[in-house]
Amino acid sequence: MYQPPSLLEKWSQENNELVNKCKQEAAGGAVSRDHRQSSLRWCSSEFHKLLRKIQGIPPHVDHSQLELAVVYNTCVCFTAQSQFSEAELLLKEATERVLQVTGNNADTSDPLVLWRAGLKSAGNTALHPHVLYLLCLQWALWLAKCQLENIGELQMSSLCEIVCDGVGDCSPSEAKGRLSKSPLLVMEPKRLTELLQICTSIAQGAEKLNEGRSSEALSDLQAASALPATRALVAYTHLLSGSCLAHMNRPQMALQCYKRALETDSRCVCALYRSMLIYRQLGNTQAEIQALRLLHSTLMLPPATEPVLGGIQPLSPSLLLSSQSLSRLLSVPSALSVLYSLALKCVLSGRVTEGVEHYLDLLAALHSEDQHAVRVDAEVSVLPRMPELYLEAGTALLFTWRPADCMAFCNEVISTTLELVPEKVVLEEPEEGIGGDARGLSVEGEDKVAMLLWAAAAYLVQGHCHAHLKDWKQAVTHYTRCINLLVKVHLKNRDFQPQIPAADVNVKHGKDLCTLQRMKGLSLAWRGISFTQMDQLREALRDLQLSLQAFPDYTGAGLWCGEVLWRLGRKHEAAACWEKTWSLTTQTSVEKLPLYLQDPQSGPLLDSVELRFRIQELVPPV
Amino acid sequence: MEGRCAVETWAQFGFSGRSYKVKILCGFGTDVLICTGTEEIYVFSKRERKITTVLLLPAAVNDLVGNQDKQLIYVACRSGVYRVNLQFLLHRDQSSQADASSSPAELKISQECLVVGADEVSSLLLVGSVLLTLCQRDASWLLTLYKTPKQTASTSHKEFGSFHLPVASAVDCGAAESNRGPRKGSVLICIHSGDVEASSSSNASAESTVAQDHFHLEPLLFKLLFGVEAALAKSPVILCGLPDGRLCFLPLRLPGSRLRVLHSLEQPVCFVGASVVTETGHAQCLVAAGEQGRVALIKTDKAGSEGGSAVAAFTEGCVPGPVWCGCMDKSCFYYSTGADLLRLDLSEGSFARESKERGEETSGTTAAALQSPSSLNVCRVIALAEPACSTAGDVQLLGVSARGQLQRICLPAGRVDEGSSKLSSTQVSRSVRDLLSAIGDVCERASVLKTVIKSKNQFLRLLNHAVSVSFLLMADTTTDLPIKEKPIRCHFETSWSRLLQKDSLSLVCFLHNSSPFVLERGWTLSITVSPLSYSSSPAGESSSTNFSFPFHDLRPGQTFEASLPIAAAGDASFPMTVSCSLIFSLSSLLGEEEVAASFAGLQSSCISLPLSTLTVDWLHALQLNSPTATHKMATVQPSSAAADSIQTFLSSRQLRCGGRTNRGGESAAKPEPEKYSASVWVSSEIVRDTLKPKKSSNLDAKESIRDPEDLCLSLLERLLSEDTEGVKMGCQGDKIALSTSVAHARGPNGAAMKLTVKEINVGEEESTDKEATIEVQIESSSLAAVCGLHHAVLRRIQTLLQSATEKAASTKNVQILGLRRALQRAEIQQSQISGAFGEVVSTVQRDRLLLSVYQELRRNPLLIV
Repeated sequence: MYQPPSLLEKWSQENNELVNKCKQEAAGGAVSRDHRQSSLRWCSSEFHKLLRKIQGIPPHVDHSQLELAVVYNTCVCFTAQSQFSEAELLLKEATERVLQVTGNNADTSDPLVLWRAGLKSAGNTALHPHVLYLLCLQWALWLAKCQLENIGELQMSSLCEIVCDGVGDCSPSEAKGRLSKSPLLVMEPKRLTELLQICTSIAQGAEKLNEGRSSEALSDLQAASALPATRALVAYTHLLSGSCLAHMNRPQMALQCYKRALETDSRCVCALYRSMLIYRQLGNTQAEIQALRLLHSTLMLPPATEPVLGGIQPLSPSLLLSSQSLSRLLSVPSALSVLYSLALKCVLSGRVTEGVEHYLDLLAALHSEDQHAVRVDAEVSVLPRMPELYLEAGTALLFTWRPADCMAFCNEVISTTLELVPEKVVLEEPEEGIGGDARGLSVEGEDKVAMLLWAAAAYLVQGHCHAHLKDWKQAVTHYTRCINLLVKVHLKNRDFQPQIPAADVNVKHGKDLCTLQRMKGLSLAWRGISFTQMDQLREALRDLQLSLQAFPDYTGAGLWCGEVLWRLGRKHEAAACWEKTWSLTTQTSVEKLPLYLQDPQSGPLLDSVELRFRIQELVPPV
Repeated sequence: MEGRCAVETWAQFGFSGRSYKVKILCGFGTDVLICTGTEEIYVFSKRERKITTVLLLPAAVNDLVGNQDKQLIYVACRSGVYRVNLQFLLHRDQSSQADASSSPAELKISQECLVVGADEVSSLLLVGSVLLTLCQRDASWLLTLYKTPKQTASTSHKEFGSFHLPVASAVDCGAAESNRGPRKGSVLICIHSGDVEASSSSNASAESTVAQDHFHLEPLLFKLLFGVEAALAKSPVILCGLPDGRLCFLPLRLPGSRLRVLHSLEQPVCFVGASVVTETGHAQCLVAAGEQGRVALIKTDKAGSEGGSAVAAFTEGCVPGPVWCGCMDKSCFYYSTGADLLRLDLSEGSFARESKERGEETSGTTAAALQSPSSLNVCRVIALAEPACSTAGDVQLLGVSARGQLQRICLPAGRVDEGSSKLSSTQVSRSVRDLLSAIGDVCERASVLKTVIKSKNQFLRLLNHAVSVSFLLMADTTTDLPIKEKPIRCHFETSWSRLLQKDSLSLVCFLHNSSPFVLERGWTLSITVSPLSYSSSPAGESSSTNFSFPFHDLRPGQTFEASLPIAAAGDASFPMTVSCSLIFSLSSLLGEEEVAASFAGLQSSCISLPLSTLTVDWLHALQLNSPTATHKMATVQPSSAAADSIQTFLSSRQLRCGGRTNRGGESAAKPEPEKYSASVWVSSEIVRDTLKPKKSSNLDAKESIRDPEDLCLSLLERLLSEDTEGVKMGCQGDKIALSTSVAHARGPNGAAMKLTVKEINVGEEESTDKEATIEVQIESSSLAAVCGLHHAVLRRIQTLLQSATEKAASTKNVQILGLRRALQRAEIQQSQISGAFGEVVSTVQRDRLLLSVYQELRRNPLLIV
């Protein structure tokens, strides 16, 4: 005799069909993100419809199991679409209905209390596992919303671990029997718990690391690394352990951890980046360059197709790991800024040819049609401004004995900026509060001082080029142009010490001032040197002395000043000048200065040993 | 002082109304693409001067761009961005055109061409291999970058970046703007620094011909506006004008660049471009125009305020708006206000000339240039494109008019020297032709306006009449004039006619218009006919019938006649009420479908003015038998036809069987059915008095009326043919000549009936004061007929008496007399009734007894004095 299927059967059939459809979509491979999103949207709305049908009748023990399963499915779909509040509401309603079925009353809105009551009332009934599944989802929601304290409060990890193991552990035959009857679920609760556990460990680790509790975080993370999870997530645990160790001043152990992270998941660029930072910290330039090179080539790889785990499970780890502190830990600079760091590092560490190649690559990349204004995370972007990049590249070219190319670069900068350089510019005393930001935003473009400094620097580098080519006359011309530009800057506050501020001044104006003074010193000194080469010793002496006034730390100027004095026959003065210069020997940190403001390593050199010999000759031993 | 523009219409393509999303895209060889905001894109061939192809997109088109080598076009539709390989399509098109078919080929663009599935993309731009789309999403403007594939075969367009700009709070004019319908959402153009062009001249030459959305700006201005970094990076800059008035820019290839605001026009931006092109091909002036006519000119000010460095100078001014569309050529900005095409000369030359004249500084003259756009006298242009300069200095523009015409507009050379006053004959003929065409254009516009005004006047006149008429009629109801004196009145006549062997009664309505107004189109006479006593009908349904007669032109003094069929013999319920009213309907006045469609609510709105309400009673509906046949009346039917008698017989039989009386069977068996009768007594004095004035014209009226026989006859005549309340019994054939005071007739239900008027003496025999009384007796075998006729006769006498002068000298006597008789009768009846109830007899007997009492009541004449 035919019996029409009961509502319960109909609903559970509908649920199962939907689940199967969902799984098929997922298994079919991610055709595109849009497609996936739309299919998810469809699924969630269908599940939601079904759920509303089921919840249309008062809660009943017979239906509850199915109802909770559908709530689970709906919530998974909602969560996967980041509709957290909808999912949370559903969970709350479901708990309340569970309490109604079991005859308990819930007169609280506090989710924690509600969940405890729900668990207690469902204890040891058939509903218990389903309530636990929902609790797992709640856990996921808290994790996604970074409400880690709630997770700790309910002692989720331990609780769920026990119960899920228990559920999974039932004998195969029993499980089979239950499986056939119980409604299907979109995502296996066991998988979900595993995912949640490791993600929670990672998020908590990051949080603790952020708060400075490195050792505590470390032990948690190391425990978590043994959990079953995808490679990417395990790599994250290693990476974070490494960061903890780095915090705890154990760079070698940190490096080990980063290495393990990379071994686990070769796409973990962050580990590469972090190890590069460690090498930099350790001063291991060769290793740093190597790491930078690797990092760059990894970043240049075409982006991987969505990792495997994303295709199968509706809830992706990225959804659960959205905390600020974690994303800060995982951020990696763009390929262009890595390339820039690489180029600069190469040039500074003496691998100039290689550096130049990287500079040229960088500029080519910037000019290529494929380069587009993709948003760059401002925090990690270390890319200098365009003119500075040109000037650095030019300087690097000069270092590799390619003055013609260098000149071309400088010409580019000059032609761009010179038109915009004002007749007079006022450099005000830096004030706290008003940083460079406000000016940087001016629509009119770059501020005038920067424009002037760039143009002047370009002339300076061109002067160096001519000096390098021993075309002293041209060199003098260009140095003069540079000086002419520099004298347009008026310092507003006379009280301001026209000295070089401490090298680590980061205020923009301070930096501008430092640059200005250094450039003055360099250009005057080098004009003086050029005059020396042309045997115009008076002009040379004037320039060199002016240079020393502007920038007393510059040893080149001091030595050459002595030389000019020597040639002028003022040998004692010369000796005194040399002695004074040698006594300075304050090595200004070269790394902090832009490349183009460094002393060119070309041109005529004075040998200190020879000078000392001369002094000894001058002062005959008594 | 200048030559006129020559407008040449090239093609006409249908689109209705004013579309705001019209775009012309040129540069496909000799082809021009036009989209008009519908799903269609027209491909117009300049060589063949006709539309060769129509591309049919799946949704309405918002924007259209072509790529550099003009092989592909990207079309932004409601549903997404489609890519169409034009070369392929047109090639196929040409091959098919070997058939020399004159109609344009229609090509459907399928869903396969969809490359970007974003909704409601408002603007598109192609920069190299990058496709940019601009659309509004919730609370922000979204500029999205897509990478177009190198191979045309593949369709994957990878999104690789997007920029948000929060939507500014609505501009004040936004509310006003929304009334004007959807406007073009946004403007997207690309600005290149002049340097780039110099380096890649091959590209530049291709682009300069189609500088519709790519402009080359002078390097200094470029740097001033967009920064040194953009210039050094050789990055093109995307400039977008938004409906909220902001002008934003984005250096496309600079890492970490953001969408920033350059300027705000504070009204929806409808055009952005660059002009004042120097010999090097660099534009020196960036122009942005807002919808309401605010124009911003952005130029380099070399003599900067302090320090002597150059700064970007923003000059804002207002030109007569609204700006519908615009385009630029090397020195001028052309824009259309819909009513006129205007030209703004932005070139330095003109400034310099003016500044020399006025001795003002340059910025002043720039503003001055904004003040004086020169009119080109071309109206209704809603899209402009492709300014081309011929060697002679003429400028040619392509425009689309509001009527969907593709026009080529030839402007004369901008600065014609005054010296060239001697025109050649060809120039003269051309200018005459221009003038003629301009006159034609103006004439066309004028005639359209004239018809509009005319129809409005007509409408107002009709409305005025309607209001006057309704006041007239309303005044009638208040002053209560007699019917005959009403300016618009109607009366009715009943008439029997015979059609298809069936008698039918029709009511002829005469509407006499004696008002000074013509009842014109829009007026309708509505007549409602309903039984007087329908409420008592068992079914409860009203059986009222509506007739309406629209007037066409009822002039003063004319009469409108309409005939309404009320009833076939035997199936009407008399008396019936006829109410007529005049109805004025606005929608029928407006007439045209479009108006009716746009004012759907008006369709039911009308003014209804009641004219009169009348009653058509049994007397009106009587069918008098001809006097010759009167004597046979009782038994034999009149001479008409045998069928008629059968009909009458059958219907009377049916009537009885219908259960009106409970003796149907008996009466059918009897050859002579039982007669019911009722009578009314009227004092002959009164009758005489009342009938007198009617015959006053007759000299011997008094004598004739003295005769009681005559009196009866005239009363009967009066009863039968009198015009009561405007209803009159129509003549049946010829005038009834009543010879006796007995009339035989058939009622509307077919029952035969007799109406007798005779003089009797009322009063006790012995009493001296006998009163001469006229008795009107009604006899018929049908109870319904007797009742109906009795009612009718009473009504007539009532009206008769109302009109009578009050002469009540002897009334008291009569009244006493009548009262006494009535009392006696009442006593007898009382005893009869009590007797009937006292004896225990069968119910049949009792009913019969009661009926006889009723008949007695009926028979006892009512004496009216």
